[in-house]
Amino acid sequence: MKEVGLSRADVSAKDKAKGSGLVERLNAQVAGRKLGILLSMAASAITLLTMLPLFNWFKIVNGYKLVKKLKVAADEVAKLKGGYSVFNMLSFVQHSGAGILGLFAMMMLILACACLYFQIVYIVKGALNKTDKKGYLGIYGAGEAAMLFGVLTGCVALIFAAFAKKNLGLEAIRPTVFVYLVIAVSVIGYVIVKNMQVAERRIYHEHGLLMEIKKNWVLFLMLVPTFVYFLINNYLPMAGVYYAFTQFNFRDGLWASPFVGFKNFEYLVSADLFRLTRNTVLYNVVFILLGNALQIVFAILVSQITVKWFKKSAQTLMFMPYFVSFVILKVIIYNIFEYQYGVINTLITSLGGERIDFYNTPLYWPFLITIFFIWKNIGYGMVVYLATIMGIDAELYDAAKVDGANIFQQIRFITLPQLKPTFIILLLYALGGIMKGQFELFYQMIGNNGVLYNITDILDTYVYRIAMTQPLSIGLGTAAGLYQSVFGFVLIVVTNWVVKRKNAEYALF
Amino acid sequence: MKIKKGPASIIFNIISYTLLTLGSIGCVIPFIMILSGSFTDNKTILTKGYSLLPRDVTISAYQTIFKAPQDILQAYKMTFFYTGVGTAIGLMMITMTAYVISRKEFKYRNTVSFLIYFTSIFGGGTIPWYLMYSSVLGLKGSTLAIWFPALMSPFLVILMRTFIVGSVPDAITESAKIDGAGHVTIFSRIVMPVLGPGLATIGLFLALGYWNDWYRSSMFSTDSTTWELQFYLYDLLNASTAIKQMSQNIGIVTGDLPTQSVKLAMAVVSTGPVLLFYPFVQKYFVSGITVGAVKG
Amino acid sequence: MKNGKKLLSLLMAGTMAAAAVGCSGSSNEDTYAPATEEAAEDAAEDAAEDAAEEEAADETADEAEDAGEAAEAQELDTSEHVDLVFYVMGDAPEDEQVVEDAINEKLNEKLNCSIDFQFSTWTDFQQKYSLELTSGGADLIYVANWLNFGRLAKSGAFLELDDILDTYCTDLRDLIGEERLNMCSVDGSVYAIPNTWPEYVSSGITYREDLRKQFDLPVPDSIENFEAYMKGIKDNMPDQPILAATTEESQGLQVAFDAAWALNLKYPWVTINGLPYGLAANYDTPEDVTDYWFSDDFVEDMKTMKRWADYGFWSKSALSDTNDSEAYKNGLCVAIPQGQNPAKYVSGVKDFEDAGQGWETAYLAYGEVTGVIYPGHATQNATSIVRGCKNPERALAVVQYFMTDEEMNRLVQCGIEGTHYTLADGDLYEAVPDTKFAYEGFSTWNLRNGDFKLMTENDALQNEMFDKLEKIGEKTKFPNTDIYSGFTEDYEAYSAERTAVSNVMRQYLAPLQAGLVDDVDAAVEEFRTKVTEAGLEKVREGFTSQWIAYCDEYGYK
Repeated sequence: MKEVGLSRADVSAKDKAKGSGLVERLNAQVAGRKLGILLSMAASAITLLTMLPLFNWFKIVNGYKLVKKLKVAADEVAKLKGGYSVFNMLSFVQHSGAGILGLFAMMMLILACACLYFQIVYIVKGALNKTDKKGYLGIYGAGEAAMLFGVLTGCVALIFAAFAKKNLGLEAIRPTVFVYLVIAVSVIGYVIVKNMQVAERRIYHEHGLLMEIKKNWVLFLMLVPTFVYFLINNYLPMAGVYYAFTQFNFRDGLWASPFVGFKNFEYLVSADLFRLTRNTVLYNVVFILLGNALQIVFAILVSQITVKWFKKSAQTLMFMPYFVSFVILKVIIYNIFEYQYGVINTLITSLGGERIDFYNTPLYWPFLITIFFIWKNIGYGMVVYLATIMGIDAELYDAAKVDGANIFQQIRFITLPQLKPTFIILLLYALGGIMKGQFELFYQMIGNNGVLYNITDILDTYVYRIAMTQPLSIGLGTAAGLYQSVFGFVLIVVTNWVVKRKNAEYALF
Repeated sequence: MKIKKGPASIIFNIISYTLLTLGSIGCVIPFIMILSGSFTDNKTILTKGYSLLPRDVTISAYQTIFKAPQDILQAYKMTFFYTGVGTAIGLMMITMTAYVISRKEFKYRNTVSFLIYFTSIFGGGTIPWYLMYSSVLGLKGSTLAIWFPALMSPFLVILMRTFIVGSVPDAITESAKIDGAGHVTIFSRIVMPVLGPGLATIGLFLALGYWNDWYRSSMFSTDSTTWELQFYLYDLLNASTAIKQMSQNIGIVTGDLPTQSVKLAMAVVSTGPVLLFYPFVQKYFVSGITVGAVKG
Repeated sequence: MKNGKKLLSLLMAGTMAAAAVGCSGSSNEDTYAPATEEAAEDAAEDAAEDAAEEEAADETADEAEDAGEAAEAQELDTSEHVDLVFYVMGDAPEDEQVVEDAINEKLNEKLNCSIDFQFSTWTDFQQKYSLELTSGGADLIYVANWLNFGRLAKSGAFLELDDILDTYCTDLRDLIGEERLNMCSVDGSVYAIPNTWPEYVSSGITYREDLRKQFDLPVPDSIENFEAYMKGIKDNMPDQPILAATTEESQGLQVAFDAAWALNLKYPWVTINGLPYGLAANYDTPEDVTDYWFSDDFVEDMKTMKRWADYGFWSKSALSDTNDSEAYKNGLCVAIPQGQNPAKYVSGVKDFEDAGQGWETAYLAYGEVTGVIYPGHATQNATSIVRGCKNPERALAVVQYFMTDEEMNRLVQCGIEGTHYTLADGDLYEAVPDTKFAYEGFSTWNLRNGDFKLMTENDALQNEMFDKLEKIGEKTKFPNTDIYSGFTEDYEAYSAERTAVSNVMRQYLAPLQAGLVDDVDAAVEEFRTKVTEAGLEKVREGFTSQWIAYCDEYGYK
């Protein structure tokens, strides 16, 4: 507390020198807190209040014309209310059939949720009034975000109304006074917070984005191509997740097709989602753990080989399966496991045994699929571990040898710990995609053999079959993809959090 | 590295030679089956199945593939072009990015890492991605659309970051900084030279990605002169399946469809160059030992 | 953690905003434009308008600016040069450019436009086909019922052609004829121009005639005779595989295993394998829908299949087999009951001739037994204009030119005479050795004109077959009409149940039809329970009402 007191005095001194009275007044203590924080918290509270569902941000005007214009079905008309809060605009879109407004309403919803979140964070932080080693900067940061989102949400609401007017050809959705109120208080709040922040930054020699760019412009320049690449290749196309909430038809096109809310997801749930999720996750867990373990084992073995030609050829040969395409693999596998003429059954019968009916017995397949997955990827996966092992300081081994450690001890106490970071990175990375992937492996090995589905069907193969029987299933496919992403994302955030708590060095972000 | 001949080493050697031999055999047998199948008469494959040694040896499958050598050579040429350009530019971009997000003094390194990583779990799906390149950027038919989309992958960036953090100690860059070196100097003079295994690994992954790709040709090529090799071969295969599927509905003459042995010969033709190339990359993994020396 | 959350929200908001700006730009032309134009028109008139007016507004908006002025003029305005893209299936011929140049020279002269053929290639062609429609890159596109023409047209992927046909392309309209154009209409509007060369694609059994004669076996013209044929060969040649049956040709909602196609010998169904979802209706009484899966016939049929499986007519691993189309050609099976048609039979004859092993193939259409024969539906091969097309009038004029001008038609279909083909005996098509433009090299089966179509060597045999089938077809209740293929099912209301039913078919019906069960009665019971649980009732109700409405509309009673 003493320190804080000191710095406040410091600030006041500096500001006085500059002749700015505003910051000083804002920094004045009222009821144990700074006046500025209290004021901007009030702005947050107002925003928060108006976002409660009982406040309508939009009013439907010209209702009769609108209903005529949109050709809303009679039973849907009753569902169209007179006014809408910022959250349920989507239900207007859904019931009115004005699909083109859907994307906009969706963005607004996301913005509103983010806005809600930041307001709450700020109010909580402000109420606790806790400072850390960077003083009030943490609180100001939260405040800045809250105010910015307040302004943004309000402005988007205004733009939405204007867009709807242009798109529908008549003024149907009018923003209410609350929208203007939110914008006004947020702008005021922003000015307050920003002024205080600038002053505070001077104390701690912190700087904002602009300063950082000025300081490290070379680094930023190096990131420019990457930025462009990910923007084009990944971020802009992400808007496509919106399709998950629509029912596509060509007449309206991708962005204007009817908005159907969570219908596509309901469809997925009704399709035995639990079994598909279980299968997908279990297979992937086995693939990741067993695959990595074997890759590490073989990488260590290869690295310890001293005979050069053997080392090289073993490594190259184990790399070969990676190039065997699944289409050909399927034919080979069928040749091996077929009932009548297959290699294995021919062998068994020649030894006087009973034929094994592989293709009608689901139980064998989890093992076969796993074996072939590992077989195909072992050489490829080994590469990273091998390169890491080769990068380990040779002196570590020499020292261990001097201490009399044998080869197993060297592996146990030097190699494995050194591989740990690489393993964790690969693991974390693989976890994010735990709901995806390996479509070709499953599709080619199992094909259309329904007998094996119960235990071998994964989400990707299931969605593929839907797409084959339904040509216009863009929404459904996107919904499945979104489910996979969100599942992986939640998993990865949790895992990363755990890893970060144990050892921050290994965390992905 | 030299290993003292203790009893443990001998046991270890026995284990490792046995396991590796078994592993190699297990990995190579199907490949030999493919190779011999490609030299086997098609009818023999169909009636007698696969075998380790070719029966009824013939090179007709290869003759079929190379019947129009200028086409397949063009496909080779394009694939070499895509692989070369893509790997070179991609490697450069990945290394630069990885360097930036490995710098402790870069305030937004966590933000940037997260933004990059996020793309690996979250995406909008194929359709918007396709529309981005074809409608928004109008790149359909251009070669740019074939190599650009695979320049980077979050996985490789993060892998490279690990390599950099592991092989370039902070002390070295710090002292270089005190000597007045800028980021460009540190990056090109200090970081790049010690990244041997990292560059080889990432480069290999990138190159393999390009070599094995057929999807982007399928999506964006409007002219067979821009086809990737894998697509050239893959499309031959698909033509047979597709025509079979639809000739149920319309009476079209199916013509010469690739036979089983042609499919196998294709696998050999497309894989061959990579397998010849791989041992050269391996050399750079071995050079990783020198990294250790620099560190010490 | 905290960072992550904050970022996520930021990110979502940010990208959505950016993307909306970026992507709306792209969709502007095809989706926004009609809507806003319509809106403008509305504002000018007044809000109150009836359905007919609305529709008219729709169309003018769709056909962009020039439609308005052109309404009076009958002659197509070709003052402005346009470049058109024609999306067709398959791979490009080697001499694509040469033929295209020749075509464009003529097009330029007559219609002041040029055309660029773009090929789907056969890799992922279904996916790419719908992407092409979504992105609106093409003007003209090949359509067919096996490419879901009905569903796509219903969903608005193509432009309505009625007005352009009546205004500018009357020749084309007259050439095709009202009947065939009607077959290509969905909800009252014509969406495609079919070819004028109906062909018979009647399914049937292809079998080895030489073996049949050798062992003095019956012609497989009934279930019993087919069984006797196969059993006879199995008994005489124990090592000879009989059927190369898999699930590849049977992935729809009618049948789940290829060998079950043979059951068509028994039933005069309205379409091959009966209606979907285990329903059935006879060709003569299409409105009279009956329940097949829950009938005693079904149990009996499944027992037949089990018996065949036990005889070893197909591999026990058949459900995962990768059927190779070469199996028959290489003697790895002695009959094919699935997915055969006269054209395939004809090429089979040629294959056996080339092989020169004295093998003989024969073909029996199921319809020859049941009396149900019809030529392919008009939507089997047709041309449509993509909704985003800027010059629909010119595009259709090009189609008209392709189809009504003999010289042009031959150029598109066969390439340049002398360079790519020669004519023997006046009219018989003969490709030059190693031709760089094969017969119908652009895969434009949709542009076939029966009057101009050059005969190939194979055609003689095929025509013989067609003549035979046509005679049977004339005797049916609805002479030479493909009733089922004109029907487009709208399964939006029950798509979840439909998928569930399809899955149950893969899981329970396929092993049943492949005879891979121990106790047929129990397995049938299990299948029936599972498929009912999957929501069969709802699916059937939805389908039947639409089907009956369709039959009523077209008078199939």
